[in-house]
Amino acid sequence: MSLNSIGYIVKETGRNLIYNTWMTLASVSTVAISMFVLSFFLVLTVNMNHVTSVLQSQVEMRVFIKPHVSRAKEMTLLRDSRHWSGVAKMQFFTKQEAANTLKKEFPNQKNLLTLISKSNPLFDGFNVYTKRPSDIPALASRFRKQPIVHNVIYEGQVVSRLSRLSVILKWAGWGIEGLLGLATLFIIVNTIRLAVFARRREVSVMKLVGATDWFIRWPFVLEGLILGLVGAIVADIVVGQGYHWLLFEASNALPFWPMASFHQVMQKTQDFTLGGGLLVGVLASIVALRRFLRV
Amino acid sequence: MIRFENVSKRYANGHYGIIDVNLEIRRGEFLFLVGPSGAGKSSLIRLLYREDVPTTGEIYLDEFRLTQLKRRHVSRLRRQLGVVFQDGKLLTNRTVYQNVAFAMEVVGASGRDIHKRVPQVLELVGLSKHHNHYPHQLSGGEQQRVGIARALVNNPVYIIADEPTGNLDPETSFGIIKLLQEINRRGATIIMATHAKDIVNQMHKRVVAVENGRIIRDEARGVYGYES
Repeated sequence: MSLNSIGYIVKETGRNLIYNTWMTLASVSTVAISMFVLSFFLVLTVNMNHVTSVLQSQVEMRVFIKPHVSRAKEMTLLRDSRHWSGVAKMQFFTKQEAANTLKKEFPNQKNLLTLISKSNPLFDGFNVYTKRPSDIPALASRFRKQPIVHNVIYEGQVVSRLSRLSVILKWAGWGIEGLLGLATLFIIVNTIRLAVFARRREVSVMKLVGATDWFIRWPFVLEGLILGLVGAIVADIVVGQGYHWLLFEASNALPFWPMASFHQVMQKTQDFTLGGGLLVGVLASIVALRRFLRV
Repeated sequence: MIRFENVSKRYANGHYGIIDVNLEIRRGEFLFLVGPSGAGKSSLIRLLYREDVPTTGEIYLDEFRLTQLKRRHVSRLRRQLGVVFQDGKLLTNRTVYQNVAFAMEVVGASGRDIHKRVPQVLELVGLSKHHNHYPHQLSGGEQQRVGIARALVNNPVYIIADEPTGNLDPETSFGIIKLLQEINRRGATIIMATHAKDIVNQMHKRVVAVENGRIIRDEARGVYGYES
């Protein structure tokens, strides 16, 4: 395709978009809204994943030693298990230290405190930090098999519940997005149909003087693409500003809540919204041209 | 060279446009297609520029076999043709110049070629002074000249005109015919469907008469032959 033709096609596309101002605006805003909803779910998912991974990195396993085991045996196990695969860090605590920690955590539980002070029912043990959260179950069972180990506790359930929730969130997001995408598709199809209708005389003259099919189609395809892309960009700007604000507010209101960073979020939303916008735009032009532009 | 071989066209409603037509048109000819309304003149012309495809038979146009022509190659055929209509089919929101230039733009001509060629063609059809006018500012005859200019601008081998003088008074019509004659003199083949008896009779060109879808007369230097 020659440079002349490209110039012409770009010019015609611009003409179409301006000629149907209201439909252009309607299409861009539908794309934007649909992409905004998509982004909303993405922001949620990214944050869920972030929280999950933060929690996973904090997960520790507690290994409790049976009572009346000698300190020497405990130390042997501590030394050996440091080299087990998956272990990042080990920390020994005595039952006295465990009691002190408990007192600090629940200073208002008088009954508990007196109980512990009289005869300490707690165990000596280790805090075990793993390199990866997936190492936990295997390590836990390995510790359990040790004769001096009383039991092993780890908080795997919170993590697995969170990941299950984010999967549900993801599917719900895709479902809603599918419906919205369909609605967006119809709007853009209609916009292009109007453009074809507004330019039917031009199209018939073009056919008559021997313009190629694709020469006739390109401006309309390009129109769909631009509608999709501009809508996505609008959504991105809104989401970007919105998340920026959210981060700022959250740092005041929930200082300890781990929020995903701006870049983490925007990278993902940009990929998806721009990709989605282009996809919807192209699909819409193809549908519109098949149905309304018999070249 | 154009050749119709046993061409029939039956429309979806069962009506026949033309029946078993055989016709040969050489390059450089000037041919009138005459006959009453609904006789099949327009059907024949629509088959020529591949708006319709024959139901049976074959049409050859230079290297093209029209029944074999793939849809995406129709544009190649159309570039050999310049088609002129009774209603002109001008773009009302573009000036005379833009209307003519449009035909060049959409086949990918360069800006330089367009700037050179369009004024030449407007000069030929006598509209140089009107190049900035919009179609509604022109008379019927002038509008038809724009249509002819647009058909001419890409240098087609064949000019196909479907009643180009249908809406014009006799004097203006004569101007249009003179123009087509000049174009013919410069080498283009002209095929013109018409009702204009006086013109046909005066021109002494080849006349093909169509009635009820069949060719009933084909004379080298013919007359209109109907009392209309």
